[in-house]
Amino acid sequence: MADLIPFTRRSFLSTSAKLGAVAAAAPYISRAAEVGAKGADTLNVAIIGCGEEGRILANAAMPIPGIRFAAVCDIWPYNLTRTERLLKKFNHPAQPFEDYKDLLANTKDLDAVLIATPDFMHAEQTVAALKAGKHVYCEKLMSNTVEGARSMVLAAREAKKLMQVGHQRRSNPRYQHAREKIVREGKLLGRITNISGQWHRAVSDDYGYPNGQAIPEAKLQKYGYANMHEFRNWRWFRKYAGGPVSDLGAHQIDIYNWMLGSNPRSCIASGGVDYYKNHEWYDNAYIIFEYPTKDGLVRAQYQVLTTTSAGGGYHEYFMGDEGALKMSENPRFTKLYREARAPEWEPFVAKGYILKPETGEGAAAPVKPWEKPGVKKLAGPAPRGATVDVRETAQLSAWDIPVTLDKAIHQPHLENFFDAIRKGTPLNCPPDEAFASAVTVLKVNEAIAAKKELTFTPQDFIA
Amino acid sequence: MSAHHAPSSETNRPEYTAAFLVLRLWLGLRTLFAGLEKFESGGSFSFENYYKNMARMAGGISGASILPLWATKTFAFFLGYALVLLGLSLLAGFKTRGTLFFTGLLYTGLSFGLMVVQEGEGVAWLGVHVALVAFALVLVRHNRFALSSEQGN
Repeated sequence: MADLIPFTRRSFLSTSAKLGAVAAAAPYISRAAEVGAKGADTLNVAIIGCGEEGRILANAAMPIPGIRFAAVCDIWPYNLTRTERLLKKFNHPAQPFEDYKDLLANTKDLDAVLIATPDFMHAEQTVAALKAGKHVYCEKLMSNTVEGARSMVLAAREAKKLMQVGHQRRSNPRYQHAREKIVREGKLLGRITNISGQWHRAVSDDYGYPNGQAIPEAKLQKYGYANMHEFRNWRWFRKYAGGPVSDLGAHQIDIYNWMLGSNPRSCIASGGVDYYKNHEWYDNAYIIFEYPTKDGLVRAQYQVLTTTSAGGGYHEYFMGDEGALKMSENPRFTKLYREARAPEWEPFVAKGYILKPETGEGAAAPVKPWEKPGVKKLAGPAPRGATVDVRETAQLSAWDIPVTLDKAIHQPHLENFFDAIRKGTPLNCPPDEAFASAVTVLKVNEAIAAKKELTFTPQDFIA
Repeated sequence: MSAHHAPSSETNRPEYTAAFLVLRLWLGLRTLFAGLEKFESGGSFSFENYYKNMARMAGGISGASILPLWATKTFAFFLGYALVLLGLSLLAGFKTRGTLFFTGLLYTGLSFGLMVVQEGEGVAWLGVHVALVAFALVLVRHNRFALSSEQGN
C-alpha cells in the first residue's frame, strides 16, 4: 500500500497548501471565470460615479453571470482608481474615464450604464446615455427636480431603451412576498388604514478626504461643484440633492406607493435645519400623506431623523384592521402582527405564507435542556404595569415572514435590470413608477418650505 | 375504609379533616400526573417515550452541572414510576404518612437537581410542593376516607 500511495508528511503539507490556496481563491475564480471575452449573452456595462454607491453596485453586480464591466467614470481620481482596481482584480477590463461623455463616446459595444452620481447629474447623464442607445440603471432619487425626472422618462420612451431606478426594495424577495402573498392574496392585514415609517440615524461627521487627494477648484467648478466640502457632502446641499428626505426617505416612501398601488393626494410636513450648522437640507423631518386606495383612505406618516439613532432604526410599518406588517431591509426589524379579532392565520402557515417565530418576539419560551419539549405553557397574567388602562386592546401576536434575501441587497434589482435587457423580463422599477415616487418625495421638501398642506391630482404623477 | 383513631378534642373538628382530605387529593393528583406526563410525547404515552424523556432530562442536568450522568439517569429512570405510585397511594390513602414523607423526599431530590443547574424558578415551584407536603404531614392525623389507617398519632 505504501508503494501505491506515496503520502509523506512533506507531500501532505504541500498538497494541503495548494488545496488551501485554491479554496481561498475560489470566489475570485468563480467571478473571474464569467468575465474574460464578451460572449453572446454577456452584457458590457459601465459605472458612472464610483463613490460609495458605485462600488456597492459594482460588488452587487459582479456575482451576476455574464456581466462585464467595460468602463468606469468619476471626476475624482481617488474614487476612479479604487473602483478600477476592484474591477480589474476580478478580470473586468474596466477602462477609466473622467468625463461620462468620453465614456459614452469611446466605449465599444457598451450595453448598459449604472449611474451612481449625485442626484443633480442623474437627468443629464441618463438622457445622454439613453440617447446614445444604452440601457440605464440609475440610482435613486431619480432626479433632484421634477423636470429632470420627467426628461428621463421622456428620453427612455423616445430611445426605446430600458431604464430602471434604484429603488431596490422592489426586487427584494421578502418585500415581494409581503406584497403579493401577505397583503394582496392573503389579505392578512385586512383593510390598511395607516402607515408609519422612519429612518433614524445618529449624528455623524461630514466626509473629508485624504491628504493630497483634493480635486483642483477649477475642475470642481467645471463639473458643477462649489468646493471639495460640498463635493464630498453633496447630499446635504440644495444644489445637488434633496437632503435626508430624498436620500433616505425616497426608498421608503417609494415602498408606500408600491405597496398601496397608489399615489398620495396630499402632504403636510414639518422639518428644519435643527442641528447641523454647515448643512442646507433639513436634518429632521416629519411628514403625513393621505393615500386614496380602492379600500379607503390611508394615512401615512414618515419621519427621517439624522440626529438620533433611538427609536428602532428604519422600517415601513403597514397597519390594517386585522394585522400589521413591519418591513425593513434589515430582517431584524421585520415582523408581522395579528390582531386578536382577525381570522385564524394557521391556514397561511400551512400555505407557507407566514411562519410561527422560532426565536425572538412571539416565539415560545425556549426549552431548557432538561425540560420536555412540546409542553404547552399557559400564558401567565400580564406583569403588573403592562396593562395600565382598561381601554387597551389585546396584545398582538407576532409572526415571521419565511423569505430571506441571501445576497447583497442591490443584487436582485440589478438581476432584474439585466434580465429585462436579455429576456424582456418586466422591470421592477420602470421610469413611470419611479417618476411618481420622485414627485411624491420632492413634494415633501416643498411642503416643509411652504408650511402648509399640499394637494395633488393624479395628473401630477404622470410624466 | 380505615378505622380511625381519636385526635385530641381541640383538633377533632371536621374542618381539619376536610382540609387534609383536599390537600391529600391535590397532592395525589399532582404527583400522579407529574409521573404520567413523563411517559408522554407528541400526545401519545409509551415506555419508549418515558426513557427518551428521562434520558433527555438526565443529560440536560448532567450537561449543566457537576452531577455524573449515571447518578442523574438512575434518579430519572426511577422518578416517573415513583411519582405514579406515590400519587396513587396518596389518592387511595394508602400508608399516607409514609407516602407523604417519601413524596416530600422525592420533590426535595428534584429540587436538588434544579438547584445544581441554578434553575431558581423551578426550585421555588418545587419548594411550594415540599411546603405543602410538610403541611400535610402536620395534618395527617386527621386523615379519613383512607385505605389504611395512620398509627401513632
